[in-house]
Amino acid sequence: MQREYRFIGRETARKDGLGIVRGREKFIDDLKLPGMLQAKILRSPHPHALIKYIDTSRAAKLDGVKAVLTYKDTPPWKGGLPPHLGVLSNVLRYTGDAVALVAAETEEAAEMALDYIDVEYVPLEAVYDAEEAIKPGAPQLYPQFPGNSFPLACPWMGENSLQEVAMGDVERGFAEADIVVEGSCRYDNIPNPLPLEPPGVIAAWEGPRDLTVWSSTQTPYFLKMMLHYTMGRINVRSIAAHCGGSFGTKAVPWQLVFYAAALARVSKRPVKLFYSKAEHFAAYTLRLGSAFSGKIGIKKDGRVMAVAGEWLINSGYCSDAAQGMVAVGCGEVQLLIRCPNWAVKPKLVCTNRNASKMVRGYGGQELEAAFLPVLNLALAKAGVDPFVFFKQNYVKPGDDYFWRDGNRWVCRGIDYSAAMEKGAEVFGWKEKWKGWLKPSSVDGPHRTGVGVGVHGNADVGEDVSEAYVRLDPDATCVIYSCVSEHGTGQRSSLCKMVAEVLNIPLEAVSLAPPDSLVNPYEFGPVGSRGTYAIGSAVIRAAEDAKRKLLSRGAALFQCPAEELETKDGFIFRKDDPENKLPWKATGFDQTYMGYGRFEPDFSVPNFVMIFVEVEVDMETGKIAVKRVVGATDVGQIIDPQSLLHQMHGCLGSAGLDSAIFEESVLDKKLGRILNPNMVDYKWRTFLELPVFEAVILETPINTHLFNSVGFGEIVTSPAPSAVLMAVSNAVGRFFDTYPITPEMILQTPGKGRLKA
Amino acid sequence: MKPFRHINVPGVAEAVDYLNKFPGSSRLIAGGTDLLGVLKDDILPAYPELLINIKAIPGLDYLREDENGLSIGALVKLAFLARSPLVREKYKVLADAARSVGTPQLRNMATVGGNLGQETRCWYYRYPHGIGGRIQCQRKGSGPCLAVGGDNRYHVIMGGKGCFAACPSDLATALAALEGSIKTEGAGGGRIISIGEFFHPLGNALKAGEMIVELQVPPLPAGSRQHWLKYTLREPVDFAVVSVAVLTVLEAGICREARIALGAVAPGPLRALQAEQFLKGKEPIPEVLQEAAVLAVQGAKPLSKNGYKVEIARVLVLRALEASFAGHK
Amino acid sequence: MKENGLLLMVNGQSYEFKIGTGPGEVSPSHTLARTLREDLGLTGTKVGCNKGECGACTVLLEGTPVLSCLTLTVECNGKRVTTIEGLEDPETGELDPVQQSFLESGAFQCGFCTPGMIMTVKALLGDMPAPTELEIKEALSGHYCRCISHYHVLDAVGRAIGKRG
Ligand SMILES: Cc1cc2nc3c(=O)[nH]c(=O)nc-3n(C[C@@H](O)[C@@H](O)[C@H](O)COP(=O)(O)OP(=O)(O)OC[C@H]3O[C@@H](n4cnc5c(N)ncnc54)[C@H](O)[C@@H]3O)c2cc1C
Ligand code: FES
Ligand code: FES
Repeated sequence: MQREYRFIGRETARKDGLGIVRGREKFIDDLKLPGMLQAKILRSPHPHALIKYIDTSRAAKLDGVKAVLTYKDTPPWKGGLPPHLGVLSNVLRYTGDAVALVAAETEEAAEMALDYIDVEYVPLEAVYDAEEAIKPGAPQLYPQFPGNSFPLACPWMGENSLQEVAMGDVERGFAEADIVVEGSCRYDNIPNPLPLEPPGVIAAWEGPRDLTVWSSTQTPYFLKMMLHYTMGRINVRSIAAHCGGSFGTKAVPWQLVFYAAALARVSKRPVKLFYSKAEHFAAYTLRLGSAFSGKIGIKKDGRVMAVAGEWLINSGYCSDAAQGMVAVGCGEVQLLIRCPNWAVKPKLVCTNRNASKMVRGYGGQELEAAFLPVLNLALAKAGVDPFVFFKQNYVKPGDDYFWRDGNRWVCRGIDYSAAMEKGAEVFGWKEKWKGWLKPSSVDGPHRTGVGVGVHGNADVGEDVSEAYVRLDPDATCVIYSCVSEHGTGQRSSLCKMVAEVLNIPLEAVSLAPPDSLVNPYEFGPVGSRGTYAIGSAVIRAAEDAKRKLLSRGAALFQCPAEELETKDGFIFRKDDPENKLPWKATGFDQTYMGYGRFEPDFSVPNFVMIFVEVEVDMETGKIAVKRVVGATDVGQIIDPQSLLHQMHGCLGSAGLDSAIFEESVLDKKLGRILNPNMVDYKWRTFLELPVFEAVILETPINTHLFNSVGFGEIVTSPAPSAVLMAVSNAVGRFFDTYPITPEMILQTPGKGRLKA
Repeated sequence: MKPFRHINVPGVAEAVDYLNKFPGSSRLIAGGTDLLGVLKDDILPAYPELLINIKAIPGLDYLREDENGLSIGALVKLAFLARSPLVREKYKVLADAARSVGTPQLRNMATVGGNLGQETRCWYYRYPHGIGGRIQCQRKGSGPCLAVGGDNRYHVIMGGKGCFAACPSDLATALAALEGSIKTEGAGGGRIISIGEFFHPLGNALKAGEMIVELQVPPLPAGSRQHWLKYTLREPVDFAVVSVAVLTVLEAGICREARIALGAVAPGPLRALQAEQFLKGKEPIPEVLQEAAVLAVQGAKPLSKNGYKVEIARVLVLRALEASFAGHK
Repeated sequence: MKENGLLLMVNGQSYEFKIGTGPGEVSPSHTLARTLREDLGLTGTKVGCNKGECGACTVLLEGTPVLSCLTLTVECNGKRVTTIEGLEDPETGELDPVQQSFLESGAFQCGFCTPGMIMTVKALLGDMPAPTELEIKEALSGHYCRCISHYHVLDAVGRAIGKRG
């Protein structure tokens, strides 16, 4: 039985909605500080080189130029995991790597100055493919990472962070299997999540060890801590502007902060650094490159007996979160597949291209997109319907898995089978599924095919959240939770939760600005943790504040606090609601501060299943996505519009379309990304919208007061492999690489018109 | 964007005058949709000193039809061309080509003159200076064409020489099927350049100091039908991977004339003369059309990664012919 | 207009600028987007790609949607510009029906693409009383939205059409 709520689950306008439609919401590039300078970066022409000579004197003399920095004069801050990148270096590791920094009065002056910096380079041999990078004799990017291999430990996830999927005895598993396949698949087209707003920061020093940073992050408090540790334990105040889309990529823009803060320090002025779209493409965050090759053994009925193989991950020229993504990916694959015997070994490699960093899908998308097509080979041999397979295999209450902290967790969530069934029914899976490599329908040169994918993440309960809720005598309240708005409606949803707990109008609830100076610790809205983790902290804080209010009220009503209730800013006895007193009756000068904290809990995985139908023109190779059905169960909807938005998001942020047209084209002779613009980098337009249906169930989940889990982060993950499957079925052959191009379709043997 | 000087000119004569006074260091700006992208990415070794704004020249945005055919002033906007009832009715491929360009906002700004004058979209040529410096190449006057040994999926399959960049202009393809030409003005007076002569592998036929003032389309053969197809990975925003414009005349079930123009497969729009010849005097039955489509791409010399374009071109020709002949009924 | 001067009519107000390279002056290389944002403080117009590829910077020039990142300010002399800030009633602050519909449909996630889309829809509904779904999609086809708010935007446009009865 669903409970009736006043706000939860109901459509309410976003708190920032008016600001957005009026154009008044302030994004990072809308902020201007007095005396602020603009920064620009001189970028390496070589994929791998040493700076032999650099002279900035001509640039420094130009009108309006206030600071020019090279590796010789930047502070000793260090980022990366493990720390391996300074602000600047004399070793350049990708085309676009920062060579020198300029701050000037105007953007034009800064840009002009770049051409007046004189540099001589010693080009070094470069390597781009992970397979090549680990070979003996390959060019080495860092002396401390021989074989271009990063250590896999991720200390902030725990001492024993997950570094592989290892359990049981794979040899025995293969022996027991009816069907054993070997294969490989590459998902290394390094698509770009590409939020519309490029990343940007402003840095201003308030004192020698006091830095204020404004940025487009969605996780301002986490950024503060990250900067504190990487910048020599300085004191950072981190303020978030409204964020123009992130998909994970803007959470910790530490490099931008390094650049701007270094320039701000020498110029003694605030410095803004706002990337161009070309920089956003060629010198910011890409998805991880991923390749799986290995062996999978199954029984004829589809039970998986053993999985063994290598997961090769290409992180580009550095790593700052890849180890975490590897850990989470290794966890997530276990949520998909019940298998007693595993030996999947990740290898994380650096190469001379722009970096892969934190992105929605966080390891799981990358692993599954490469792994599932190999599994499909086995399912096809056994003639097992992939929908039926996923339904049988997806983690159920009582099942266990190793999570990113290296510990074994037992699922105490819900059985998602009902949502899967409902999704399949709405999609018409039974009618459309004709078997492996069989089109659903044929019309002249056009063939349709269907595919399905599933994904879930137990990170919905990751990390720590803290919050305060303050009740004011005027019957309003303020939430202190260090979350900025990046499109998920999270700030508004937190207000709804608190309004519900306190039973006051939504208008009476506001949220303190996303500023680390005023808010307690908050890891931030990532990994779909907003609803459960942040929500729990905020709910607890509201309950705590309410408890304090009512215990003061107990004196007024001369009864135990437990007998009191509050609504719309009044206190009353539950058995006598007419006889009420306003909050301020407890003191016109009295506020109540409640505190709430959430501790990590990896026992409640969330879930999404994506069904897709594609149409392939066999004569031209054009692939059209015709229909998408997304199915989930979120326990309890908090905000219907926001939830639906998240579901639709599977078409964006380097998700579904990374199977057909999204890719960063890397020229492996020059080491340059050839398509750093929004014409050659393809994205979905209004004229290419598939029919989209969402199936959202609400089976209460054991999380918090509202029995709800978050969902946004996972939606892109199942989509690429589902599309690959759909195209395979339409065309009649398997694919082992992304994206599927017209060229690949046209190379299909017997590609002509099928006889109907 | 780096700074430049800017001047509004009141007439064609003044525009030509300035072009000649600042040879090599001035550029015309019309809609600016291509030029400003080029300047923002700073892709050219020489940055212009002066932009000559021709947008405000009065009377250069006309659309006229008379016994000599259709004349289109250089400043006509693509949105206007695409919407014009006259063009949609009679010069369908031109309207459809215009409508296929970029996005609605771009078409509200972009001019037909600029569409022909625009620079190639070859991604080596267009590589932004801000990410490690612009790429030098044959088209820019030094070095080889990097597409040959690189990623040439969008490059030419025919007619490349020195440079293998494809013609980006959609209007050019449509104009080729209509046997249109380009009227220019220059220091030494004006001239008429047929569309087939306008593009060459390293650029276009405009001389220094010369500007486009008009596009001309001769009267159409009586009873002709047209069809336009543009293949892109998605719609809109994309430049053509391959485009095709055809014009057909059918009399008593027999093809009297066929014109087939292919876009984005060569440095300029390409007429498939052999295929056209083959169709003449034949009944357009499926086997004939298929054969014509094969002939249209005969002689293609794809590069390492663009062989698929040959196949797409063939299919597009076939489909465009089918549709155009079907239109006669 | 006088030599070296420039007159812009933005959201019903006129602004005079000197053309030059000094502070507060409009340089020939300044785009309309930059002038609106930096000199007039009208930061509601967003810049996504700065190269004509994403539609975020769409404003109305003489009532027609154009890309302000590819428009030189010096070429707008004497012209009428409408930005997102100019849609609401300046006296009452009442929202334009298109803004109101976007708000009610929740037609945004991060909201960075929203001002540009609203400008396009505003112009579309001015030109066409009842556009079809395909016409709406075509009109919006030059707008990038990475969050995928498209479906809600279509809902908002339908709502705006409905509001006119
Ligand atoms: C995102 C995007 C997508 C696009 N998609 C397409 C597409 O699908 N198909 C397509 O064909 N184009 C496309 N374009 C290119 C588009 O810019 C042109 O189609 C447009 O018509 C150029 O016209 P303009 O008036 O803006 O030219 P401008 O930018 O003003 O000028 C372009 C060039 O031509 C020169 N020039 C301008 N007018 C004249 C003249 N009268 N005489 C001589 N030279 C002149 C200029 O000096 C400049 O070098 C696209 C552009 C963008 C940014
Ligand atoms: S910012 Fe102008 S189109 Fe993208
Ligand atoms: S709402 Fe974020 S880009 Fe459209």
